[in-house]
Amino acid sequence: MKSENNQGEPRLRILILDDEPIVCRRLKPAFEKRGYEVETFNDSASALARLREAAFDIVITDLKMEGADGIEILTQAKKASADTRVIIITGFATLETARESYSKGAFDFVAKPFKLRDILECVKKIEDQRQATQ
Amino acid sequence: MWWHRLLGRAPTRHSDIAEINIWRLQSLFNNFRRILSLNNAILANMARMEQALGGEYIYDKAFLENTVRTIASHVHHVTYNLNALTGNAYIPLYDRYQEIRTILDDIISGNTRALACPPVLPLSDIGWELEPLVGIDLVCLAELRHHPGIHGPDGFVITSEGTRALTGQLAADASGTVHISASMVRVGLTDHLDILLQECATRRLAIVVTQVDDDEELARELGRFTVMPTADRSVLTIIEETLNPAEPASAGETRALRPENDKANSATPRHEREDSVLQLYVRSVERIVQTIFTRLKATGGPAIIQYAVFVRCCPDAAGRGTVQSRTAFADSFDVLSITATPADEENNTDTYLLHRTYPFELVQSVIAPHPAKRRFADGRLATSNAVIDSGFGRGSALLANKDLKALAETAMALERMLGIPIALHWECLATETYRITRLFPLQLIRKEISDDELAREQEGAQIICEGGQLVQAGVAAGSIVHVPEDMDPADFPAGAVAVARVASPQLTPILQRAAAILTEYGSAAGHLATVARELRLPAVFAVPNVLRLLPPGTEVTVDAGETTVYQGILHTLLLHGSAGMELSPTDPEYRVLRRLLRFIMPLHLVDPDAADFSPGGCRSFHDIIHFCHERAVDELAHFQERRPGLGAIRTRRMHLDVPMDIRVLDTGGGMIKDAANQPVYSDICSEPFGIFLGGLLQPQAWTTNLPSLGFRDIISGMPRTMNMLAAPADTLGENLAIISSDYMNLSLRLGYHFSVIDANLGSDEQRNYVYFRFAGGLADPERRARRATFIKDVLEAMDFKVTVNGDLVIGRLKLVEAGLLRSALFILGALTAFSKQRDTSLATDADTRALFNAFATSFLGHFDRDISSSFTQRAPKTAPHENTDEADSVPVRK
Repeated sequence: MKSENNQGEPRLRILILDDEPIVCRRLKPAFEKRGYEVETFNDSASALARLREAAFDIVITDLKMEGADGIEILTQAKKASADTRVIIITGFATLETARESYSKGAFDFVAKPFKLRDILECVKKIEDQRQATQ
Repeated sequence: MWWHRLLGRAPTRHSDIAEINIWRLQSLFNNFRRILSLNNAILANMARMEQALGGEYIYDKAFLENTVRTIASHVHHVTYNLNALTGNAYIPLYDRYQEIRTILDDIISGNTRALACPPVLPLSDIGWELEPLVGIDLVCLAELRHHPGIHGPDGFVITSEGTRALTGQLAADASGTVHISASMVRVGLTDHLDILLQECATRRLAIVVTQVDDDEELARELGRFTVMPTADRSVLTIIEETLNPAEPASAGETRALRPENDKANSATPRHEREDSVLQLYVRSVERIVQTIFTRLKATGGPAIIQYAVFVRCCPDAAGRGTVQSRTAFADSFDVLSITATPADEENNTDTYLLHRTYPFELVQSVIAPHPAKRRFADGRLATSNAVIDSGFGRGSALLANKDLKALAETAMALERMLGIPIALHWECLATETYRITRLFPLQLIRKEISDDELAREQEGAQIICEGGQLVQAGVAAGSIVHVPEDMDPADFPAGAVAVARVASPQLTPILQRAAAILTEYGSAAGHLATVARELRLPAVFAVPNVLRLLPPGTEVTVDAGETTVYQGILHTLLLHGSAGMELSPTDPEYRVLRRLLRFIMPLHLVDPDAADFSPGGCRSFHDIIHFCHERAVDELAHFQERRPGLGAIRTRRMHLDVPMDIRVLDTGGGMIKDAANQPVYSDICSEPFGIFLGGLLQPQAWTTNLPSLGFRDIISGMPRTMNMLAAPADTLGENLAIISSDYMNLSLRLGYHFSVIDANLGSDEQRNYVYFRFAGGLADPERRARRATFIKDVLEAMDFKVTVNGDLVIGRLKLVEAGLLRSALFILGALTAFSKQRDTSLATDADTRALFNAFATSFLGHFDRDISSSFTQRAPKTAPHENTDEADSVPVRK
């Protein structure tokens, strides 16, 4: 059940997964400040479990992690809900990993470090696309 | 030929020599160019790290590791390139590089041993880099010395390594040695106690023990003690106080520990008694260190217990109190609270609540009744006003308004440094001097802010200014104050929002007083940006029209992270800002990054003439690359005289319409491809050399009405002339310009003087410079010295940094706009011709002044003009010397 923002519109739900807590700690309030509903995870097992029980509009996931990596999360998120948009963030960006991410259906591929504004714009783009299609 | 065999030499052709030499020359110059390009890459990476610290980037540990690895690799190459350029003249630089690299690697891996420092050191020697050894609270207290508000106390610190040594926790390293021994700590302790006690009239010490654990967010206070002597100083008593931040110096549970006293009796000579008493203090401090260790061990703490000890004098204070930088006052906003208690009335405490933003207006005060004859801050006595039956006076506060504001301003500065609300203890001495004695992170039960609440406030808020480059994220509010260039920092109201035209380094003192800073021009990679990040001051530079949009006196809220300025005070945003997405000093990633930057970013070696401008003086990677750059420029400035063999290289003689031969050697992009065998002015593409020639070819610079030489001048010049004639034949009389598209190195012999002009005009203004060296002349020493003065005056008029030694003048100009460097090069061209043989006419100092005035009239007027915004875009058709109509104008390429 989606919560609503001040205008009575449903909030976009975002799942953020990164094994470095600092990334989640900084992204969460930034998205919440803009009215998004955010859940954060530092291990992929918990994130996968949550993806199985709830649908998210957007998944922002790190690429290299212990256990399931970002590509696996991407695959599972798409399997759970084809409408889910996945943004891969990584400190080990290469052409190959970017290509693989896009081929598996990633919406965007962002290299770390990134500016907060860049990822906010990326999410805004997804939001605008959704509103345009509704 | 038989004589070649006899001499063991193979016959060589002239062209071979030239080819080999040019190859070597290009190789040497490539080292210089590589230093420049690597320096640019390093500075760009440093800027990215700084911007990450300012909150601009979301980053992780991998980013830190990768960036440090990249920077370190580049610095290593710069060191190599300098040594390749100079024939291995700076081998010790490799050692400095390696030492700093080791420290950086250790910081990333969490090993604090690399931060090796004395185990006991004064508070004033502590900087951010020592945070893992002393705790963030003591670092903040120490950092107050750079703040214009109230300072911390004098005292010293035993680092966590020192306490580990005293408690036998330091293990030997792989080689079997313990880098800090207990006896080393005792020696340091004795020395610092001796110094402290000499300045401590009460001989009473306040000692605080703080747990230092890098995995914990903040340092935790473990114990607070007072060590005081008996009247005859023969026995010391240790009193342990309660640990309550809201109660300064309160005597809670008191346990007296008496150290053994063996020698301190009146029969002992005074100096021995003093020694003995000093040792008693040492043992008392040691006792405290051991007590805490035993206590922590008994409670089953971590395997390695790390804590630091701060020791300060405990003077007779007139009053004490606390400040809490944030406390709930009403639903709508939080306030800052201050308490004050007179030393002789422990139960009569004033409480003041102030706004948290400039000008820190009083919201509420609760003034305790005080006994008769109490003198208040306003000078009145308690009984002189509003006397009531009990004999108490009311209506006067213990603290004057200015003191309340100073305490508030200092508390807010500390909150900014620490990144979370704080509590502090202060004391006021009889001299009305205030001191911050302790600092605590304030663990508040944070008021939850709902997204709707914030969104509602933002919907109603009016954005009055936005955009610009984020320098340091953060939210602050206050009144706008415009900062003119000549503003005395003391006139800037502490806590106001500063708005300035340019982010110039001169604003540094203002930053220490401001709540936030916005500028119309400036770069997030400049010096002021570094200071803003160091102070964690919300800052945005290059904000369009900020001076016009934010008139003085406007009350605003600055959300630097969003590069947005709102009208009025947005209390919810202020609350959210400090609890939100900003990178905080409590984040381990922030602390590691800041620690790394302390060994990468600071530039300590700023003066190339200073004694410590040496490989050994390099304390950061920035020092190393700056040193390499300076030394590389110096090498090029002396390049031709240190390599006399250059004369054998095939060069081309320029055809100039002035009585001067200049041979030119193009190492890449300095001349047009189809240049004539005798290149002319219009064949030159090298921007610095072209501009220099433009000045050199100015007709007025070649005035010929020179006085004839006297017999004394000729005799005086003879030894120098003979020395010149003794120089190798292949260098005699050569004026050689080594050029490329953005570089020139010109060695000139005009008449009897010598000059070198070395300049770089590339795309990165940070690395551009003009170096000028001049020496010689035929006249007597006095006249040559006068010409040196004349040249010095001209250089200084163009803001060169100048040194003069006899007739040798050296000037350097760098870190200025490219337009000014171009102007300077043009004028140096004119000066080179103008100063030729001028020494002979300088009989008096008045002649020197007249010559300067004549030159200034003709040429220095050009200095403020942009000589050529882009030399290469304006291909010349005629040389300035060929067109006398334009004699007084800047040579513009049509």
